[in-house]
Formats: sequence, structure tokens, C-alpha cells
Amino acid sequence: MQIYLPIAEISVNIFLLLGLGAGVGFLSGMFGVGGGFLMTPLLMFIGIPPAVAVSTEANQIVASSASGALAHWRRKTLDPKMGLLLLIGGSAGSIFGVQLFSFLRGLGQIDLIISLSYVSFLGIIGGLMLIESVRAIMRRRHPEQRREGGRTGHRKRGWIDALPFKMRFPRSGLYISVIPPIAIGFFVGTLAAIMGVGGGFVMVPAMIYILRMPTSVVVGTSLFQILFVTALTTFLQAAQNQTVDVVLAMLLTVGGVVGAQFGARAGRHVKGEELRALLAFMVLAVCLKLGWDLVITPADMFVVLPRGGEVGH
Amino acid sequence: MIIALLASLLTQQAVPQEAPQIMAALTHETVEIREDFAGTELILYGATRGLTIQDEIVVVLRGPDQDLRVMQKQRSFGIWVNAQAQEFDAVPAYYSIASSRPIEEIASRDALVRNRIGLAQLLDESATQATMDLEPYFAAVERAGARNALYTAAPRGVEVLDGGLFRATLALPPRTPVGNYTAEVYLFREGRPIARRSTSMRVEKAGIERVVYEFAHGAPIIYGLFCVALAMLAGYAAAALFGRR
Repeated sequence: MQIYLPIAEISVNIFLLLGLGAGVGFLSGMFGVGGGFLMTPLLMFIGIPPAVAVSTEANQIVASSASGALAHWRRKTLDPKMGLLLLIGGSAGSIFGVQLFSFLRGLGQIDLIISLSYVSFLGIIGGLMLIESVRAIMRRRHPEQRREGGRTGHRKRGWIDALPFKMRFPRSGLYISVIPPIAIGFFVGTLAAIMGVGGGFVMVPAMIYILRMPTSVVVGTSLFQILFVTALTTFLQAAQNQTVDVVLAMLLTVGGVVGAQFGARAGRHVKGEELRALLAFMVLAVCLKLGWDLVITPADMFVVLPRGGEVGH
Repeated sequence: MIIALLASLLTQQAVPQEAPQIMAALTHETVEIREDFAGTELILYGATRGLTIQDEIVVVLRGPDQDLRVMQKQRSFGIWVNAQAQEFDAVPAYYSIASSRPIEEIASRDALVRNRIGLAQLLDESATQATMDLEPYFAAVERAGARNALYTAAPRGVEVLDGGLFRATLALPPRTPVGNYTAEVYLFREGRPIARRSTSMRVEKAGIERVVYEFAHGAPIIYGLFCVALAMLAGYAAAALFGRR
């Protein structure tokens, strides 16, 4: 059964969209990731214009992060103060990202920038995750090689502690400068606008390794920031570029909600390290596919783009 | 309905004049794009006066104009980058030709150019100041349109029936753009058009498609807030429905 999408202006099979939503939802439920980094490229592969794919995916992430953020808020497993700082940076980043998006679209280079961003971020994150999880698996097999001390020992005072404008974060038990969270938030907000992702895959490692937040509040705080930044991105893209397709977003959300439930159940039967290795392979696969498309000789050496901002007119 | 249409065309034909004439009507004045739209077929009925055996009929359906930028890909640092842009103003987003015989057999290239028939001619006119060889750019636009079935040619898409009547079948693909369309009907004799007629129609969104589209473009700020609110509600509903764990 075909459905005509009012903003994307193409006709797509409704079961394909529900299936995509469910499939990506299953993976995101299983791995505890947002899934934007998979969904946006997939939407582009099936022919949704990139501008619509990115904006609409931001809208879907609002829905998928809302329930998670709410749960963490109730359980008090998020740091609202840190979340607020990330959000301030994220809002500025999102506004900047949407402007940059419009500008690059005007130049006819948006597809390239989206692809390059995906290839570089997915490559780095996927690679690091793979190394990390393979090490963890090896360590478990050979327990005698376990590192001693652990992370909680004497932490080296790095450049982060030298920055001014320090603030206390009681929930995280930190006393650090406000500059790194705002900068990280800004960076992730820009990514959200350009790549149509929540940015959890960048923010979570940044919170753990740069801000050194306790892992118990990392996921909740990240979801809190993602919820509000994607909400702002959706609003800005809708108001400025008219590229949010609410019908597409709702179909993906319905599929995603159901898929995530089954994914979460399936995830309980797989060990953490294997799960992370699996996710790393998936991230690298998407990265390779997009990277491959950039280097192989294109089937058509020319590209025809609409001019004047509007999509598909 | 078709019979009535033809009958009305035939009565119109009874004008006391000997010069060849042509009349045409489309089966639809508006084509509505609804949520289940997956392309449709458009029929143009026509009647001619003074049609001889060697006459041929050409129907051109032209959609709304759009401005395009065509870029050639170039390899730089190992990856393919869009470069060398050429801009086009007012290129039809939809263009299809149906004829009673392959168009090359009906008229010479010059005759078609003179009568502004064919996409190549239109592209030539719409290219903004050119600094390079534009042929590959024209071909690229034609390929892109053909890929979505927006530029088509039906060399036998016009059926000539008895008594100077004819019927042209034109396909509107799933990606049919909304806007005003004009159908030009030509009667060719010995490679020259001796009569022509034009008729128009509209493609527009209808139902939910129209509501959403007009909401998004007419009140973008409220639409943006609505999208966010709906998504939050959906997330909350999902959490309530499946229980929080």
C-alpha cells in the first residue's frame, strides 16, 4: 500500500516505512542508542530528499527520546544542571547548524557534507567502540591480564581543570568549568541539525571521557539534552526550511516504538561486550557504505538540484 | 461520458470552414494528489477536421516550471565532489510528448525547434549565460527527469480513430509535481504544423496531503510547534502504553 508523503512529495510503501521504523527501533532498543545515525541514511537510500530526511528524523528522535528522558527524570538518574549547560550549548549549535544547512544547500554541497560527516563520525566512533569491546572480551577470557587500579584512582589533572568559570554539579559530584559542557553541547547541536541524529553516540563518550561524569547519570542527561535539542531543531527546520514531514515522522515513530520494545527484550539475552561489538560492526558498515559511495565512480556524472531553497518544486 | 464528450466535439466541428482544425479535451481538469496517489493516466480526446491519411498528431503536456542547478561531479582528494554548476531558469518539471508516429518521422529537427517542441530546445532557452559546452548538462537534466518518469515520449501514444477522432494517453508518475499544466496539440502535415490547440489542467494536493502541506507552508511556526508537541505526546503515550522499565 503506497502512501504519498505531503512534504517529501514522494509516494512510498507504508509497510516499508513501518518496517524501517520497527527495524531501527529494534536495534536502538537492543543497543540503547537513538538510531538516528541509521535512519537518516536509510531514508535517503529510499529516495527521501536529504533535507526532509534530516529534519524529519530530528522530529522522530523527539518522540523516541521523550519516554526515555521522562523515565530518567523520575528516577533522578540525570543531572539537570549539567543537562541545562549542554542544552544552552546545544541550542546555539542547533541554530548555527540549521543556518549552515541552508547555506550549504544553497551551494549544492549539502549531500557531500552530510556524507562526509557520517563517514568521519561513524568511522571514529565505530572504530573506538570495536577496539574497546574486543579488549573487554579478551580481558574476560584472560582474567589474569586485568588492569589494576581502575579509573577511580588518582586522576591526572588535565587541561579541563585549568579552565575558568568553574561550577559545582552536585548530582554528578563534579566541580568543573562550564566551558567544556557548553562546547560539547554546541558541537552535538550542530551535528543534530546537519546529520539528523540525536548525537548520543558522540555525547555519551564525551561525557564519560572528557567531563568524567558518573555513568549512572550519563544516559539520562544525554537523553535530556537530545530531547530538547532535537525539539528545537525540528521547530527551526519547520519554520525556516519547511522540511519536516509530520506524516513520515509519525509512521516511523509508530514502527519505532513497537520495534524498541522487542529490541530491549532481545538485548537482555546478549552480553554487554558482544552487544557493543555488534553495534560497532553496524556503525562501521553504515560508514563503509557511505564512504564507498563517495569514492566509487558515480553512475551519473551529473547531479540535478532544485534551486531557490524550496524542495521538490 | 466519453461518448458525450466526443459528441460535443463533433458538433463543434460543424463550423463552415475548410482549413484544417483541431479540438481537444482532457479527461481531467484537475488531478488530485491524495495520500494513496501512485501515479495516474491522463487521456486527451480530440477531433480534427480535414484530417488526411498522411497527417500526424503530436500532443505535448508540459508541467510547472522550476529553476535548476546542474553540477558535474569531479574527483578531488579521492572523493567525488559537485563542481562546475550550470543554472537553468524555468525548466518544466514535467514534459511528455505523445505522437501518432515517432516524432523524428513526423517533423525535422529544425521544424521542431522552430515550433519549440522538445525538451532540448526548452533547455537551450532556459540556460543562463553559458561558459562551457552545455550538451552534457542538457542530457543530465533529461536523464534525471526520465529516471522519475517525468520526461517521457510515447512515440505511438496518440491513437487515430475513425472520423478524424484521436485519443492520446499520457502518464502522470508518482512524483508528478503540483501546479498548472498545459497540453498543446499539433496537427502536422508534411513536416509542418498546420493547426494547433491548447488546453490546460491543474495538479493539486487534496485531502490530508493538502491540509498538511498548507499547514507547513502557511503557518510554519505553528506547524513546527505542532510537530514537536505531537512527537512528545507520542513518546509519552508509548511510555505509558508499554510501561516503563
